[in-house]
Amino acid sequence: MDFTISDDQATLAQGVRDYLAGVHGPEVLRELDAEESRRSDAVWQGLVEMGLSGLLVPEAQGGLGLSLLDGVGIAIELGRAGVAEPIADTALVAAPLLVAAGGQDALLERIATGSAKIALQHPVNPWTADLDTASHVLSADSDALLLAERSGTARLLDSVDPLRRLFVPASAGGAAIGTSGALLDHAALIAAAQQIGIAEAMLAQATDYAKTRTQFGQPIGSFQAVKHHLASAAVKIAFARPVVQRAAVSLGEGAAHAAVHASHAKLAASDAAWATAETATQVHGAMGYTYEVDLHFWMKRAWALASAWGDRAFHLARIDAAVIGGTLPIGPGHSFA
Amino acid sequence: MDLAYTPEQQAFRAEVRAWMEANVPREPLLTLECEQGYRQHVEWERKLASGNWGMVTWSEAYGGRGLDLIQWLIFEEEYYRAGAPLRANQNGIFLLGPTIMEFGTDEQKARFLTPMARGEVIWAQAWSEPNAGSDMAAITSKAIRDGDHYVITGQKTWSSRASFADWGFGLFRTDPDSKRHKGLSFILFDLNAPGVTRRPIRQLHGDPGFAELFFDEVRVPVANRIAGEGEGWNVAMATAGFERGLMLRSPARFQAAAARLVSLFRAHEAKASPAAREQVMQAWMDAQAYAYNTYAVASQIMAGGHIGAEASLNKIFWSELDRAMHRTAMQLLGAAAELRHLNDGGLNGWLEGYIFSLSGPIYAGSNEIQRNIIAERLLGLPR
Repeated sequence: MDFTISDDQATLAQGVRDYLAGVHGPEVLRELDAEESRRSDAVWQGLVEMGLSGLLVPEAQGGLGLSLLDGVGIAIELGRAGVAEPIADTALVAAPLLVAAGGQDALLERIATGSAKIALQHPVNPWTADLDTASHVLSADSDALLLAERSGTARLLDSVDPLRRLFVPASAGGAAIGTSGALLDHAALIAAAQQIGIAEAMLAQATDYAKTRTQFGQPIGSFQAVKHHLASAAVKIAFARPVVQRAAVSLGEGAAHAAVHASHAKLAASDAAWATAETATQVHGAMGYTYEVDLHFWMKRAWALASAWGDRAFHLARIDAAVIGGTLPIGPGHSFA
Repeated sequence: MDLAYTPEQQAFRAEVRAWMEANVPREPLLTLECEQGYRQHVEWERKLASGNWGMVTWSEAYGGRGLDLIQWLIFEEEYYRAGAPLRANQNGIFLLGPTIMEFGTDEQKARFLTPMARGEVIWAQAWSEPNAGSDMAAITSKAIRDGDHYVITGQKTWSSRASFADWGFGLFRTDPDSKRHKGLSFILFDLNAPGVTRRPIRQLHGDPGFAELFFDEVRVPVANRIAGEGEGWNVAMATAGFERGLMLRSPARFQAAAARLVSLFRAHEAKASPAAREQVMQAWMDAQAYAYNTYAVASQIMAGGHIGAEASLNKIFWSELDRAMHRTAMQLLGAAAELRHLNDGGLNGWLEGYIFSLSGPIYAGSNEIQRNIIAERLLGLPR
């Protein structure tokens, strides 16, 4: 029993965090917001050169062969930096599923080199992100996981998240390569991990603002009302992070109740991110209601990810069946059931 | 990260489970807050000690087993799984014990720790004064040096367990000219010493769980001072850290309450509101989150880390979780919630628990103080 991330995991995440802080600051988000495509080959290539596209691809296919828990550490950093490129879907969700399916070595090699982008489609999501630039579509029907090359065009929707590219999907079809269950759980986990990073970024922005904005002759962060808002957000985030880590281990091992843990992670992280978004807006005062302050990029991503890959009702229903329905052992001694 | 128990940890769990099944009283004890219930709980402390379970993380030299924090968590899980009674000596074993371990002399460790682990001496805390609550540095009770003794004069209040306990610990002003955090010393005293008067205070539930203490020239040996004269504030802050941090409220306590809440919901499902259903699920999720976080902190400490201001995150989370769970239970009970004894004659434990849960966000440093600590020390906001 050891509930710590390793030094290697911490070092990797810190490296990605430092890299993204250097090349993917808020000014980049603003530049992308002014681009028709909302995407940047330079940003994508940078992520590939950092090794992120091959993070979970086996070494034999040119990747780093790391674990889902490593992937969660990186997803947190992608959320913190507000990255909108389809790197999380391709490298952290699709790649491990293709590894598990087997027989996909050629595609995994392309993922590692950054030449393949995988769009994810699932009945739980009415829309599909980044369908226009995807090379492949990984989708699920009621029981099978399907892989197809992307073909045709789709209608672009108008998300409140300025960097989110959502499309009305047609049936992707393709060959069955496995069972469908893991797609939703993996994608929910990676969305949850991004929510942790998004929440921490918003808390940091609001805290910085509270230290510098003065009223009544002093920083507003010296007032207890402001302090207590921010402290409450810190509590929510602190107790969501280990839930996400626990779900990563559970899904990585294919544990019996991994789906329940994924739902718990999605709910805890999304609740923390949504609450922190409201807090951060409030602390920014009228500035928080503008498009001029960076905060809105993260806040809108938090709203979007909260309902993608299973909304609150969907995940609560799975908790309900397990906890109230009695399929999950609960109580002291069942911390890791 | 490895979230599986080792065979040794599983064997330890089985050992604790077997002992608890054989020894936990079948009938619930009376409340710890009345004299007869207190005596029953002290008897249970001694029963625990007879199995060498008084404080498993302490070294064998002081009546413990020298176990690590993961084993302590396993012990606590089995303790609450068995429905074992509350710990009459929690002020001693969870607060004073670690303080003596860190700051005490070898003589003090030998004199105080073993009787504490064995349940032979039950401890009360004596922090607050009528004019020093959240602002603890406003303490005015004095301990004036007279040869090998201090002479204590003053008043303490909200002293948990002090109605019935044997000994107390607290902060006293040993430099009468000092102000605020300076000139305070951490002193242990016999509650039965001449000059100590206890006035039990009825708590919200009607029983005298805490007391006021009046000191009228009480003579206490200088050898009962922990750490140096005037160093009391730093010692007390460390003790408060133990209180808010890892040990005082183990996750098993809340996992047990959440599981009972799920059972209560099932029994009342037909008339329960949709909101109650969601609150029950939230209770289970939050109790689990608290458990994961505690395992994470325990693992970090075992790897050489330490818990500082992060303890304030814990204290807010468990105290607000406990209140929310019991509020949900009260709402599920409906008209029966107000009955102190239910129709079957048994004590309405949810009502008792709800009343107790209201103290959680207040004691051990109010949650407002905890939020200040988080804002100032973790987020770096200005004082």
